[in-house]
Amino acid sequence: MRDLTEKALETCSKEGASYADIRIVTIKDEDISIKRGNIQALNITNIKGFGIRTIANGGLGFAGSYLVTPEEIKRVAKLAVRIGKASGATRKKPIEFVDVKAVEDSYKTPFKKDPFSVPTEEKIEILVEVDKRLKEYNPDVIKMTQSDYRGHREEKIFASTEGAYITQQITFAGGGFSCTAISPGTQPQRRSFPGSFRGNFSAEGYEYFESLNLLENVEKTAKEAIALTEAKACPTEKTTLLIDGHQLMLQIHESCGHPTELDRVLGTEAAFAGTSFMTPDLLGKLQYGSEHVNMVADSTSLTGLGTYGYDDEGVKAKKVDLVREGLFVGYQSSRETAAIIGLEESSAGMRADNPQKLPLVRMVNINLEPGDWKRDEIIADTKKGILMSTNKSWSIDDKRLNFQFGTEIAWEIVNGEISNIIRSPTYTAITPEFWGSMDAHSKDDWKLLGTPNCGKGQPGQVMYVGHGCGTARFHNVRVGITKEATATDGVQ
Amino acid sequence: MEFNKELLLEKGQFVLKEAEKLGATQAEVTISMRNSALTRLANSIIDQNVAERHATVSTIIYIGKKKGSTSVEVLDKDSLKQAIEQAAKIAKISPENKDFKSLPGPQKYSTEISIEDFVSKNTLNATPEQRAEFATLAIDSAHAIDKRINAVAGAISHIAVENLIMNSLGVEAYEKGTGSNVNLTVLAEDGKEQTAGWSADNRKDFTELHIQEVAEKAARKAADGFGMKYLEPGEYEVILEPAAVGGLMFFMSYFGFSAMMYQDYISFLRDKIGDKLFSEKLNLWDDSFDKRLVYQALFDDEGYPKSKLEMITKGVVKNLAYDTLTADKDGVKSTGHNAKFRGRSMPFPGNLLISDGNSNLDEMIAETKNGILVTHFHYQNAVNPTKGIFTGLTRDGAWYVKNGEIQYPLRTLRYTDSVLKFLANIDLIGKYMDLNDTQAKVPPMKLPAFTISGSQKE
Repeated sequence: MRDLTEKALETCSKEGASYADIRIVTIKDEDISIKRGNIQALNITNIKGFGIRTIANGGLGFAGSYLVTPEEIKRVAKLAVRIGKASGATRKKPIEFVDVKAVEDSYKTPFKKDPFSVPTEEKIEILVEVDKRLKEYNPDVIKMTQSDYRGHREEKIFASTEGAYITQQITFAGGGFSCTAISPGTQPQRRSFPGSFRGNFSAEGYEYFESLNLLENVEKTAKEAIALTEAKACPTEKTTLLIDGHQLMLQIHESCGHPTELDRVLGTEAAFAGTSFMTPDLLGKLQYGSEHVNMVADSTSLTGLGTYGYDDEGVKAKKVDLVREGLFVGYQSSRETAAIIGLEESSAGMRADNPQKLPLVRMVNINLEPGDWKRDEIIADTKKGILMSTNKSWSIDDKRLNFQFGTEIAWEIVNGEISNIIRSPTYTAITPEFWGSMDAHSKDDWKLLGTPNCGKGQPGQVMYVGHGCGTARFHNVRVGITKEATATDGVQ
Repeated sequence: MEFNKELLLEKGQFVLKEAEKLGATQAEVTISMRNSALTRLANSIIDQNVAERHATVSTIIYIGKKKGSTSVEVLDKDSLKQAIEQAAKIAKISPENKDFKSLPGPQKYSTEISIEDFVSKNTLNATPEQRAEFATLAIDSAHAIDKRINAVAGAISHIAVENLIMNSLGVEAYEKGTGSNVNLTVLAEDGKEQTAGWSADNRKDFTELHIQEVAEKAARKAADGFGMKYLEPGEYEVILEPAAVGGLMFFMSYFGFSAMMYQDYISFLRDKIGDKLFSEKLNLWDDSFDKRLVYQALFDDEGYPKSKLEMITKGVVKNLAYDTLTADKDGVKSTGHNAKFRGRSMPFPGNLLISDGNSNLDEMIAETKNGILVTHFHYQNAVNPTKGIFTGLTRDGAWYVKNGEIQYPLRTLRYTDSVLKFLANIDLIGKYMDLNDTQAKVPPMKLPAFTISGSQKE
């Protein structure tokens, strides 16, 4: 492969590129899904390809292809330089990169059991059994069942005209299940385990999927789905809100992860995903949250879906403060975006979801650092409130200020104890006001969770990212947006 | 990109023969060749500029009711052979899909339209330099509208695709096509506030994109956006421009009319087929043969012929969209709406049209007592799909309208409401507009009641 990367970079230089890099990537993915007792997906994906990025005439060019042959690499290298030159013609000043130490290195996310060595039959057997037990729990009410497994591996080679040559292997695995309870005269109610979006995922091997203990959680999950069909609706009011990990992770993702992506802040996503209220003039000045809020972008945390050795620009993984004691202090960045606002180095945030795609600033592991509380202490300390769990719906504006989320389930908290189940929970708030009201975050249930579904960019890319968090408490939050509660619910 | 049907046929036949050798009782292969390029603008320069060349081969093997599938980005015979062997191997260990009856048999495809009409040579031959010229035209045109314009963002793109679907029962479906798009968000700033305007256009022929018109329209919206005010949450009349209607229809179609969503108890139309749920003025259908649409197709992702699907006629819910699996489950025929994505599939009607009316935006504004005018929506999502409750935010231009006149621009607003409520009554439907700013062919419309649930002030 080194011959190919060297030839590609030579061609780029010869064609007039002042900088070039190439990624040659293979991706293997195993996706299994059982739905209502039937196989829904049993699919193996194998992708191989390359992408070449150039700076020519001061502009950035990129081209990629599925065909990893010397002839195609030469053609694509020339095209990437030509595209760079065309881009450069519209620029007011040439693109600049902050420095990076070019290294030769290799990196591998650790695992105990290779997900691709475990027989597919074994995975199917577990999923079928989960599906069967969900249905059997109450066949008259549990009408929809689904269980999922996914294993994923990327082998990447990165080489640049600066002399970098890095090989990496990234592996993740995980899964989960969901069921929907339907009772005459009530709305269908879904419960998932361990989280929505087909479960949870970790940069580990098959041992992570095993550790989820899906079978042991069937009964509790089905029971909650059925209980939801008889539960009262979420009241419409302002209240104290507790959010646990499988909702808090998306709250962090949408209201801190995306708005601190520096490419987005600088306008790259202005016509698509949007911009950000966290502009460079507010860096070090904006009180983003309360003193209890500490957020980091950490691509070094073991087992996170945003964990790697080097990003797709060859920058070594690192941990960067985004919010420290509530103050907005940092960005997720690339070599280009860091240079634009005068940062000394990139946060190592560049990744592409496919060899033929341009790397973008993508979330790594965006973690809310653990607080001093235990989950039960937060509940015991809450006189009246609502505890919400497991994301169901999400939406946030283009500057990442106004958000609205819905969760699968919630519970009333009365005098420090968990009380009745609540259905159709929703909440809405404005980002800094919301994080400004956080006064407690737990450490005992803090987990590094992962979602492989983060969309960004034109052409669109879907990236896998991590979020570490526990259970947090927020005050004076508007809940019950859909106003579904009625007098018969006894809560209005 | 040069199309090569013979190459695709050769590869397709190879896959089916190999599958048969490995014991497949039925097999399907989809070969997709795709060349695309996209020039992305930000801050009035070309910020990203990419070209991609993809070749995807997806193989499905059935052994009885057991299914295995692989998807690979390779075309050489050895790699394909490996992929077929892998699909056969997993089919052997797969549990049975009791709902599966058969892949589709040989099909006849419409001769009303020719696939040659799906292709524009100008798009096939588009270059990075042409995209850069269009980018410069967009930037210059937008800045010429108003001195306060400070950034042009967006994308100018084109794509050429070639697809072959073959199965062991005799399906042989081939089509090719091109498409192109420009979408621009223009930002303006006066030192006190930043405004935004948006517009877009879609064409088969890259050279026919209305670059200047799109840039000027987006820039005018941005220039007209100064002096934004907050609006209290509540119920308002709403005037939806076509892109706003198109966005709503996408979610309505996905969550409501897909037979899979219906069978999974997610659809808000459950047990309501045949009911009059919407305004008599509303006619919604899917028709991939309609030449008014930019993108057309002869068949769906399993090679089943597309057919016109009446979805809402005079407010009455008529039909769901089916593929073979969901159709077999309900004992009906597929409507030709299978859509495959990342190894999974579902029926989805994506070639949408709404019949137009005689009104226009000016008349709608004149008829509005207390309402809002919306360019398009951002980040829409289902809050409660079983009740048809969706949410989303206004973006790139919304205005408050009172007593027949536009009063002032509005800061971002969030709606949270049920389609079953806000489409139950429609005041006015307009004529189709010139730009294809959404892939659906939809007119603007005015609704009497739409719930605004929040703003950036909350």
